[in-house]
Amino acid sequence: MSIIEVENLKYRYPDLTDLVLDDLSFSVEKGECLGIVGENTAGKSTLCYALAGLIPHFYKGAYGGKVTVNGLVVREHEIAEIVENIGLVFENPFSQMTGAKKTVYEEVAFGLENLGLDRKEMHRRIEQYLKLLDVFGLKDKNPFDLSGGQMQRVAIASVLAMEPDVLILDEPTSQLDPQGSREVFEVIEQLTEKGMTIILVEHKMEQIAQYADRVLLLHQGRQVALDTPEKIFSRPDLKGFGVTPPVVTNISKALNVRYPDSELFPVTIEAFKRLEEAK
Amino acid sequence: MNTMTLYVEKDSPVHRLDPLVKLLYVFASIALTYILPEPLFIAGVLFVTLLLLVIGKVFRNSLPILTLSMFLIFSLVIVQGFFHPDNVTELFSIGPLVFYEEGLYVALVLVLRVLVMIGSFSVLILTTSPDEMVERLIKKGMSPRIGHVILSVLQLIPQMRATTSKITDAQRSRGMETEGSMLTRIKAFFPLMGPVVLNSLNETKERSIALEMRGFGSSTKKTFLNEEKQYPYNKLLAGIIIAIVILGIVWRVMV
Repeated sequence: MSIIEVENLKYRYPDLTDLVLDDLSFSVEKGECLGIVGENTAGKSTLCYALAGLIPHFYKGAYGGKVTVNGLVVREHEIAEIVENIGLVFENPFSQMTGAKKTVYEEVAFGLENLGLDRKEMHRRIEQYLKLLDVFGLKDKNPFDLSGGQMQRVAIASVLAMEPDVLILDEPTSQLDPQGSREVFEVIEQLTEKGMTIILVEHKMEQIAQYADRVLLLHQGRQVALDTPEKIFSRPDLKGFGVTPPVVTNISKALNVRYPDSELFPVTIEAFKRLEEAK
Repeated sequence: MNTMTLYVEKDSPVHRLDPLVKLLYVFASIALTYILPEPLFIAGVLFVTLLLLVIGKVFRNSLPILTLSMFLIFSLVIVQGFFHPDNVTELFSIGPLVFYEEGLYVALVLVLRVLVMIGSFSVLILTTSPDEMVERLIKKGMSPRIGHVILSVLQLIPQMRATTSKITDAQRSRGMETEGSMLTRIKAFFPLMGPVVLNSLNETKERSIALEMRGFGSSTKKTFLNEEKQYPYNKLLAGIIIAIVILGIVWRVMV
């Protein structure tokens, strides 16, 4: 069952002349992890905004086509209605903190207060998601006193506490150190295992290869391909779209380690090992 | 974590008062100094205000604020004492300048009024946490957006200051002179403003996206994580303050 349906989506920012999203059509199944890759200015973040309803409600401009999330046509519903269906976490953890709350616990409560939830339900959700993100021990700390990785996990907890069906992660680790990145990816792993629908935009292709069920390759706002990570990262023309495959795929290409009777190369170390052992 | 607040966290009867009652006291005490502009009466209001600061265990914290007002107080005494248009009775003279009793009287009223204003605002600011104040005002019907602006400014301005300091360090590490004469500092100020302003604008845009994604624009009736605090004698205290103001008005009209 498709939880997201995008039909002929086109979009241009008010101050630009070219389309940033040019006739995109795809769907995302419930429980799927969709990776979005492409060079800078490919339209990845803009697509995330369009899925979350920020386009056309927050960013105006020329908009065409249709985006449906959980049966809601985003163009016809306010962001406040959409946020209960889809959550967005982006790269800068600092600017995702509201700035109005003095503790991590209250920070997570912010969205729930806006949804008008009763106090008992708020406490239940806050504790559940702080524990899920392993930041319950920080609940009394000021959000601005946390490290980047901790702050990003609080941002994810704050969005997850609103219990959306889909979580969009737009380069969630690009401003984090290796430790912070590892912490965030551990959370993503947990969420994919729990069957959450995730849209993941990431420049670290190893992570896309590891978590994504399918990968959407964008180039200059256009949809080049939507396929399995193996098919996308085995494309000989991939570098032309500004995307470098995972290191293990490059090594496999050099060593000619590929899936039997196919042109596809492994994209994870585990798959590489299995193929090597099977030789 | 630095926040731009003067609130002093202590346990005192004044801290436990309803922020709205304290706000009412601020307005009432200032209004009374205009309704009954007699030095003795204003001194009485000032005495109550200082007593509240003492009971609130924040009298010492209010001294720097009162000290800051000394320049204004001296100016008032000098200007009114020497130059008030109703000046008649000479008190003393310094060369050609004569200091008058009428001017001193007017200055005394003004000085006491300023002290009441500063004191009563100190009672409010030093004994009330901004969160409690804003939450109480939102519950009374103030827009949550205004409340958010007030609270976020208190935390985000120190954050902006930290960003400015980081950018200054980055520029200094690349050889830019940021210290020294006034001219050097002015020269360093302009290159600093570009990155600080752009960074702030970018963060503001991102933060507004984050707020939208947390349902900030929702028309649903907002609820609150913290239970509504019970303030004993709330109505009684508010009633007493209002009654005193009314009595003051009646006194002014009758006498």
